[in-house]
Amino acid sequence: MDTAILIQQVLNGLSIASVITLIAVGVTLIFGLTGIINFAHGEFLMIGSFATWIVVQAGFGFVPALVIAVLAVAAMGFALERGLFRFTLTRPTNGFIVSLGLIVVLQHVVIFFYGPNQKSIPRPLSAVWDVGGVRIASVRVMVILVTIAVVAATFVMITRSRYGRALRAAVEDRDTAALMGIPVRRYITGVFVLGSALAGLGGALLIALFPVTPFTGGTMVMKGFAVALMGGLGNLTGAVVAGLILGIVEGFSAGYGFSEWTDAYSFGLMILVLLVRPNGLFGGTSGPKMA
Amino acid sequence: MKNNSSPLLSLLPVLLVIGLLALLPALGLTNRTLSLAISAGINIVALYGLAVLFGQTGILSMGHAALVGIGAYVAAILARDAGIGFWVALPLGSVLAAVAAAVVGIPSLRVSGHHFVIMTFAFGQLLSIVLTNGGDFTGAATGLDLQLPVTLFGHRVDDLLPYYLIVVAFVAVSAVASWAIIHSSYGRTLRAIRENEKLAASLGINVGRHKIGAFMVSGLFAGVSGVLLAYFYRHISPGQFAAFPSIYLALMVMIGGARLLLGPLAGGILVSFLPEMLNLDPVESRIVYGVCLIAVILLLPNGLIAGVLQGLQTVSRKLSGVPAGRASTEARNPSRAGQ
Repeated sequence: MDTAILIQQVLNGLSIASVITLIAVGVTLIFGLTGIINFAHGEFLMIGSFATWIVVQAGFGFVPALVIAVLAVAAMGFALERGLFRFTLTRPTNGFIVSLGLIVVLQHVVIFFYGPNQKSIPRPLSAVWDVGGVRIASVRVMVILVTIAVVAATFVMITRSRYGRALRAAVEDRDTAALMGIPVRRYITGVFVLGSALAGLGGALLIALFPVTPFTGGTMVMKGFAVALMGGLGNLTGAVVAGLILGIVEGFSAGYGFSEWTDAYSFGLMILVLLVRPNGLFGGTSGPKMA
Repeated sequence: MKNNSSPLLSLLPVLLVIGLLALLPALGLTNRTLSLAISAGINIVALYGLAVLFGQTGILSMGHAALVGIGAYVAAILARDAGIGFWVALPLGSVLAAVAAAVVGIPSLRVSGHHFVIMTFAFGQLLSIVLTNGGDFTGAATGLDLQLPVTLFGHRVDDLLPYYLIVVAFVAVSAVASWAIIHSSYGRTLRAIRENEKLAASLGINVGRHKIGAFMVSGLFAGVSGVLLAYFYRHISPGQFAAFPSIYLALMVMIGGARLLLGPLAGGILVSFLPEMLNLDPVESRIVYGVCLIAVILLLPNGLIAGVLQGLQTVSRKLSGVPAGRASTEARNPSRAGQ
């Protein structure tokens, strides 16, 4: 096997895994505080992609498109949390089912307006670097770097800031946190909006790499959940590490010519990990404690 | 279950509905309506299996279409390679689907709740990837054709009308089978597991074995549904059994209500015919369907039938002057679905 091609494939794998990690981080954060399993998170991502496409079509550049996509999906997350998920907080299974219904609605609303065909934008960065025989597409590097920066910022916010501390207190014990003056309900909305924004960003990055269809969300969210569960649901570090593992595995498999099995690895890995460690690699929460 | 009514009484309305459905073609249905009814019926067979798993045992499976797929592929491959027809494929397909269901169920012994639900999704997706990459054996992404006719006592029965009657017969058998399960001690055992796994275990119930058992039972139904489906469409492909068909099956059973005998029937019929009656195109109908589902879950968490029954109960109690307090405990009792 040619090392150069292998490195290239691993880089490709990592760039897609970046988008999946953005989903997984959103999913894991939302679950950790709210207990909501939002399967429609993939549709949030897909809408982020479509928003990017619409703005680029209107003649703007990729960066404004990305910003608008993030804001639009965050706003959508706000509306859906306040309008729907809020009513299911005490019954998480119902929230899950509501999110399944939401998949159907969001997907077909997009199809209704823009048709089922794939949409693509011109690559925001077209340069291809040649580093010692390894051909590296700059757009893929951009995706990986943006993801690292955003995930790192999220991580610092959760672990270091006052807001993050309050957030973790609310995860530990919702009632006590509320008594200490933490506006738990507002935090729930905040985390949901943050997770949605990450999905919107993921969507913008995804369409920079690949054409996107209204059905893309389905595959991506499954992988996102696979990664989140592998790392341990509710565990941010776990999501990042599991995303990294998936990226490398997918890259190697493509490098050795098994690319048609790419979609199977996330699911296979997740099933294996959960059979050995039912709480994921790094241990997860079982959702917020609600007394 | 109400104590004062005999268990047989709960079967009657279901059989009545199915009997009416069997007479429906006498009204002169169009071919389009008839084929819609056939596919609804095929779904309902699978829904009855899913209801045993979700409604009785309390395990949510989101990979159920994959088990239907196993029945369908067994039928198609047997017909192609061995010339084996419908009636032999039926038991083989359902037994193999049951075995596959047991495999899907094994992780449920260790992994629970949301984790497991997502795992069943993953199993469903894995199966469709395997089918897509199976080369000539599974027909890869294009799928398989099925040429054998369905015969009964030497007569071909694969025209729409006779096939419709066969499907209705299978729906009736499924309903009776699931009624028998609900009212047997086995059904009580499953419900005990649903309500409190630890308590059930401490009563000496082998929880693990019964969970896998429930999976296998639901797999049998799914396999039958798959064979019926393969012989109806005469062409099957992996996409029919991937994640989204599974989601739709799960949603249908929830819209109808998973715990009551009428639930799967109502869910299957409503979801199949509502768009037709409202005269919507497929995209619009999916949107309406999703919105209805969300509304049902938020407003009637136990499904449409349970919600309607609950409403009727409240009304009748109000009319007969029973204090509201009692009525509401009774009404709230079954409302812990899917916790």
